Amino acid sequence: MEGCPRNRETCPKLLDLIHQERKWYHDEEKNNADQEKKLELRLAPPGGDEEDGSAMKKKNIDTRNNIKKEAEEKSIFNLSGNHFSSSNKTTYAPPHISHKRTAPGPVVGWPPVRSFRKNLASSSSSKLGNDQINKSGDEEKQVQPKREGMFVKINMDSVPIGRKVDLNAYSGYEQLSFAVDKLFRGLLAAQRDASGGEGEGKPIIGLLDGKGEFTLTYEDNEGDKMLVGDVPWQMFVSSVKRLRVIKSSEISSALRFGCSKQDKMKN
Amino acid sequence: MNYFPDEVIEHIFDFIASHKDRNSISLVSKSWHKIERCSRKRVFIGNCYAINPERLIERFPSLRSLTLKGKPHFADFNLVPHEWGGFVHPWIVALAKARVGLEELRLKRMVVSDESLELLSRSFASFKSLVLVSCEGFTTDGLASVAANCRHLCELDLQENEIEDHRGQWLNCFPESSTALTSLNFSCLKGETNLAALERLVARSPNLESLKVNRAVPLDALTRLLSCAPQLVDLGVGSYENEPDQESFVKLMDAIKKCTSLRSLSGFSEVAPLCLTAFYPICQNLTSLNLSYAAEIQGNHLIRFIQFCKRLQRLWILDSIGDKGLEVVASTCKELQELRVFPSDLHDEEDNDTAVTEIGLVAISAGCPKLHSILYFCKQMTNAALITVAKNCPNFIRFRLCILEPNKPDHTTSQSLDEGFGAIVQACKGLRRLSVSGLLTDKVFLYIGMYAEQLEMLSIAFAGDTDKGMLYVLNGCKKMRKLEIRDSPFGNAALLADVDKYRTMRSLWMSSCEVTLGGCKRLARNAPWLNVEIINENENNDLMMERNEEDEREKVDRLYLYRTVVGARKDAPPCVTIL
Repeated sequence: MEGCPRNRETCPKLLDLIHQERKWYHDEEKNNADQEKKLELRLAPPGGDEEDGSAMKKKNIDTRNNIKKEAEEKSIFNLSGNHFSSSNKTTYAPPHISHKRTAPGPVVGWPPVRSFRKNLASSSSSKLGNDQINKSGDEEKQVQPKREGMFVKINMDSVPIGRKVDLNAYSGYEQLSFAVDKLFRGLLAAQRDASGGEGEGKPIIGLLDGKGEFTLTYEDNEGDKMLVGDVPWQMFVSSVKRLRVIKSSEISSALRFGCSKQDKMKN
Repeated sequence: MNYFPDEVIEHIFDFIASHKDRNSISLVSKSWHKIERCSRKRVFIGNCYAINPERLIERFPSLRSLTLKGKPHFADFNLVPHEWGGFVHPWIVALAKARVGLEELRLKRMVVSDESLELLSRSFASFKSLVLVSCEGFTTDGLASVAANCRHLCELDLQENEIEDHRGQWLNCFPESSTALTSLNFSCLKGETNLAALERLVARSPNLESLKVNRAVPLDALTRLLSCAPQLVDLGVGSYENEPDQESFVKLMDAIKKCTSLRSLSGFSEVAPLCLTAFYPICQNLTSLNLSYAAEIQGNHLIRFIQFCKRLQRLWILDSIGDKGLEVVASTCKELQELRVFPSDLHDEEDNDTAVTEIGLVAISAGCPKLHSILYFCKQMTNAALITVAKNCPNFIRFRLCILEPNKPDHTTSQSLDEGFGAIVQACKGLRRLSVSGLLTDKVFLYIGMYAEQLEMLSIAFAGDTDKGMLYVLNGCKKMRKLEIRDSPFGNAALLADVDKYRTMRSLWMSSCEVTLGGCKRLARNAPWLNVEIINENENNDLMMERNEEDEREKVDRLYLYRTVVGARKDAPPCVTIL
């Protein structure tokens, strides 16, 4: 590279790749496209695309993203399907719809941080303010009402009436499982109308290992449905929003995006 | 040199440690190749599927230390299925069978089983050092066998692994006679720790320099540990939720005062902020500080602490430190070489004014003349800032910038960040690793291809417009080894333009790009020395076969290709197709 002037247009190294005129043409074409873009009618989220000279990107539809995003994308592409092709042209690619959202939606593996870092903020906020007996109050202490009793709703398939459980009363999954059994055994038996015979009803077991008739699931603070038992107890407590006991046979349909999120949580 | 007896040449080679240099030596002549390989003790294998254990052992019979890497980097971000591969077991089996005198094993992103650990512990009498980074598949039972059977174990370093904790007594398994420990790191274990066993172990390890405990080790136990190990150089603290009472706090501080050799501090997940202040007595000695798990320590506490850490060379921190905090770092830490700023609020719930911006980055670049490595997560950036950073810090070796929102432009001009990154690669002639983000067109890759002559690893996400972008990089960066791309519009034309380029690279990853199955098949045909892997998470081979002829135009979800001398691997799971 010695002797090569630091002038990108004339560097001999890339003669085979760039041609000065074509490069500028590239920019011009893009500008023209931008003008056209501004005049087009298109379906975009409110607060759409405000930038100049921004290349439009097509986000791959990742079925593991939330439904809302997918539905939004599908409708945009249907409208614009005739205008834009997505073939691999080596010349300038036609502008694609940019997904401008007011808040970034969940994209798999983005931002590129390890999973345990993602849980830091949410698991820490539920720990702060625990047992503050001493007087040193110089830092801002977040009031955590959850600490007094963390009640979440719990529903069970085929039982019309839900219950609430105080997760702080338990120190682990086994205790929770036991509590669920106690809460619902009678209700379930009543639903099934076990006339005579079994009295109290069959114990509800195998909630955590998939071996029982029922399985315990939950919805976390991101709205995802998860199997209970994968993550450390405290992490679960800090992210759970509600619980649901489902029939083990219905796991795959109940947890629509379950597979990949489970993987995500495992890491 | 030909007049020297082999032993002398071998002795000279002993002084040459770097893998690259030794690889070069082995290419000089046949006799040097032989001497080199027979005397080689340390081998580094960047991709465990590039070669097999039998050939490794054949070439390097005197092997003592082996480093292996398995899954591709993007596995860290859940882009690679769990069952993809990277099993260490066949390696351990082969090494054991050949009676290699293995002393050290370092693994990264590999699948390790309890069975493997058990076999390891029984097969190598001189085994001294086990370092596992980002691995998975084993439990504390495996650790127990290592503790129990490796009589000369000096180092057990577990970093960020997924370990199933059976809450057993693995710490108890270190025999009473084991006194050789120099380094013990179990910070990633999630379960309870037998504190008494740990204290006894530390008490009988006078050479212990590095101790990193897990969350389950509370403050009073930490105090006792420090009291019997004041010689510690590197400490990883556990967690304690409550503010310590006066007495405990004083005891802790007293113990810390005696640790005059302490240079490196980490841990602090779930710690009450006051606990950090207990470390004030030694903070001016610290050269390395990792507070990136300390989500609960507010920015002002961090700043107060760091103000005294004038000798810091390495700092890992959360973005809650803010631009103001980074300005303090810039004015205090003149020895700083490596900085990592991680995001603390990923759910975007708060409109966080205190997170870092381009201002903090510029401040650091201006204040820290020795800075050569940076990983920076932020919400916004500008070209002007990057250009200033490039001017201030031409010595970057690693520059990784992650703007949290994909495609985000320069927030003051709304332009792409091509010019900013262009300035970085132009100024930093020694740049070896680069991660780009924000709104980027093909132009940034033109700059990279043109200027980044030493670049070995490049990470691209949501960037570029056409195949030209990728081509600029492939044609321009002669030293490229690892290229990983996601969600960018690069397709077959770029993939297939120069197949021989992949001979000079370790691997290429492309996910959610425009490459098609047909393109990948063509590549595999033209390059039999490559393993071209297609990864489809929710499918298996049978399903792929059933599809009709439109197949070839189907976009490939994830492509991972790497050079290899041993052909297609046999342990691929159903979701992976090797073309």
